[in-house]
Amino acid sequence: MSRGAYLLELGLVPYREAWDLQRSLAGAVSQGAIPETVIFLEHPPVVTLGRRTDEGELHVPEDAEVDVVETDRGGKSTFHGPGQLVCYPILDLRLHGKDVKKYVRDLEEALIRTLAPFGIEGIRFDGLTGVWLHRPPRKIASIGVHISRWITTHGYALNVDLDPAPFTQWITACGLDAAFTTIAGELGRPVRVEEVRPHARDAIAEVFGLELDALPADDGAGLWRQPIHAQLAAR
Amino acid sequence: MNPDLERAARLYEEAAAELDRAARHCEVSAKHFRNGVVPRGAAHAWAALGHIREAEAHLQEQARTHAKRSTVD
Repeated sequence: MSRGAYLLELGLVPYREAWDLQRSLAGAVSQGAIPETVIFLEHPPVVTLGRRTDEGELHVPEDAEVDVVETDRGGKSTFHGPGQLVCYPILDLRLHGKDVKKYVRDLEEALIRTLAPFGIEGIRFDGLTGVWLHRPPRKIASIGVHISRWITTHGYALNVDLDPAPFTQWITACGLDAAFTTIAGELGRPVRVEEVRPHARDAIAEVFGLELDALPADDGAGLWRQPIHAQLAAR
Repeated sequence: MNPDLERAARLYEEAAAELDRAARHCEVSAKHFRNGVVPRGAAHAWAALGHIREAEAHLQEQARTHAKRSTVD
């Protein structure tokens, strides 16, 4: 059975604004002010450090124009930039089995299903979070999550079409001496994030049993009916 | 300091902090709506709503405590 959830497609959003927004939306979901919410966006170039980041992972050149942000998510360091599809599901895990490991496996499953329509076979490696391609092993998507009061923040980052050099030249991303790839690199053609997002949306909806309700914002006028509308009408 | 009064003071401070956060999100929301960036404006508006609910929860907690201890002559 599907449950209604909001879908926010926010475009290019600075990391700190998006993080602040996630934490506040998590509070709103926790308080029942809004339904579960899935955010898709891209970030300007930023290196983020997870709770398990080692000091030696970071070797950003002094002249690199990139923000470095310490976060509360799990995992190690990673890089975000335009051309990478970032998904932050704000879910209430009390509705999804209260199982953090399963939640991470489900995010991996959503990524694998997102890649399939492009003829790319994503795989998991035991003991390594994220989604990989095989022969040779190369990482295409990273996952880092934070859970408080069973409400999730952070999520995944899928490399669509960006230069993967910062993953190895600026940081030892995920603490791994591994290769990173992109959908565009695998297909040998440019790929826009907009081309991938509908598949990502469908995959998240299928895996988590959500009926995603997108904000009809094309004309700048449409807004969702919210739970609070019904509460106000009943007064 | 009476510990009950200190506890009440902290609840009100937490409520004030939540309302400050709500106000900041409302300001950002206004900026985005004015620029026609509706999804980001809406997202910040809901974020504000979440903080208002948190503040309300703190105030209600204090109201419940007060109601429990008050007596009617």
